[in-house]
Amino acid sequence: MQAAMNELVSDVSFDGPTLAVEELSKCYEVPGQEPFCAVRSLSMNIGRGECFGLLGPNGAGKSTSMNCITGFYPATNGKILIMGIDVQKDPRRARLHLGVCAQEDTLDTDFTVLYQMVLYGGYFGIPLEESERRAKELIEKFGLTEKVNEPAETLSGGMRRRLQVARALISRPALLILDEPTTGLDPEARRVVWDVVGEFRKAGGTVLLSTHYMEEAQRLCDRVAILYRGNMLDCAPPMDLIDKHAGTEYINEEIRPGVFWKRPPNLEDVYLKLTGTQLESEAQ
Amino acid sequence: MSQLRGIYCVWRRYFAVYQKSIGFGLITTFAEPLLYLLSFGFGLGSMIGDFEYHGLHITYRQFIFAGVAAQTVLFQGFFEAAYGGFVRMYYQRIFHAIAVTPITLSEILWAELLWDASRASTAVFAVFIIGCISGDFHVLGAVCALPVVFLCALLFAGLGLLTAARSRTIDEISYPQFLFVFPMFLFCGVFFPITQLPEAMRGFAWFLPLTSVTDILRAFTLGVPCFILSPFIILCWLVGLVYCARRAMFKRLVK
Repeated sequence: MQAAMNELVSDVSFDGPTLAVEELSKCYEVPGQEPFCAVRSLSMNIGRGECFGLLGPNGAGKSTSMNCITGFYPATNGKILIMGIDVQKDPRRARLHLGVCAQEDTLDTDFTVLYQMVLYGGYFGIPLEESERRAKELIEKFGLTEKVNEPAETLSGGMRRRLQVARALISRPALLILDEPTTGLDPEARRVVWDVVGEFRKAGGTVLLSTHYMEEAQRLCDRVAILYRGNMLDCAPPMDLIDKHAGTEYINEEIRPGVFWKRPPNLEDVYLKLTGTQLESEAQ
Repeated sequence: MSQLRGIYCVWRRYFAVYQKSIGFGLITTFAEPLLYLLSFGFGLGSMIGDFEYHGLHITYRQFIFAGVAAQTVLFQGFFEAAYGGFVRMYYQRIFHAIAVTPITLSEILWAELLWDASRASTAVFAVFIIGCISGDFHVLGAVCALPVVFLCALLFAGLGLLTAARSRTIDEISYPQFLFVFPMFLFCGVFFPITQLPEAMRGFAWFLPLTSVTDILRAFTLGVPCFILSPFIILCWLVGLVYCARRAMFKRLVK
């Protein structure tokens, strides 16, 4: 069992929260204006094996929060601890526990599928042979074996996305940050990513996920935070959020002109209600 | 992982890309200075003949060889950092990908500058080999000049990276290229001694970094004295440009 766990996550010994964010704020200076705050006093604790979702419209502060958590952006205020290590004070050590799949395609198109994963392992100080062994395992897990020696630029969009998630796992991180990992994937490829996320969590890994797909959040996340203009509007398990904001009664929805169907409330209703309410109150 | 190891890992990545197309890389690295040497050194040089430079009788070929070495430092250092750096930063997003690993952005930018300087130094090394074989350079001087060449290449890599950081699109790189790099190439002593320039232009030419780079490389390869302030001018430009390039790139990438 331990050996299987170690295939995806190397450090499962830490007792505290894998990710602790305390009062995180990120503001930008705007010449001649008040500073613009993309994230305001965001706090969350994510425990080992948990999948935590960040939902919100464009500009809600999801990617900015993630960039602060990775230590790429300096926080204006607040504290971020990964496995108890302060990201802002010791980013090098904190990032040893971190795997990141960014929203944008950041694959190294100069190299083949295998070599770029091996190279990426090198950035974490993983020896060449070990990095190659792990890379081959992940390539197989993500169904890319046939493309192992192909240049990354020749892969389809879905394959590139899978490769990016696989690459994020090469260091066997304790915390995996996935910023819209399944955008543009076909249902089959999306299922592969979901399965690996499930497997990663079973191995003790923690996931911070940002997505626009409510179905994905509802399916994968233990807890979901809804962000809007840098503020966390609510945070709870998906079903609790649905009960609290959308109720339990079936919704009669017109799906085409004159065609109605009754369906149970879902996370999308919560999302639209919370962010829609905000839009209305701002308009007034 | 130490800072140096981080820088080495990223430098190694650049070298791996270079290795992949080493044939093409070597051709482009060596072809350009070779063409200049053939055209100006052997072609134009045979028409001009000898002249006196700092009290020494030299051929125009000897004069231009050192100029071509300086021009190679400028072009290879600037273009690799400006265009290569822009592509890696903007299109390939290499900096973003690596900066979320234990390697910091500061180390990535050092590696970028060092790689650009390494590549430019390799090209100058090729010019030195040809100069030594043809008997136009002092061998010992050329060997001693290599560390200086690397620093000069770092200077122009700084200029290139600063340009990449300040350009919104890849086309905008051509503005500093035409307004700063090409005028330097033409008026900083590569093709003729700057004493031939009108008095008013001479002071300005000395202010530009390529004049001092050309001057100091001639001193090493021909054994003539160099302007006493040349090392100081190079050092000032080097520190200033590397600092500004790193700062501008941080400002662009880190919000």
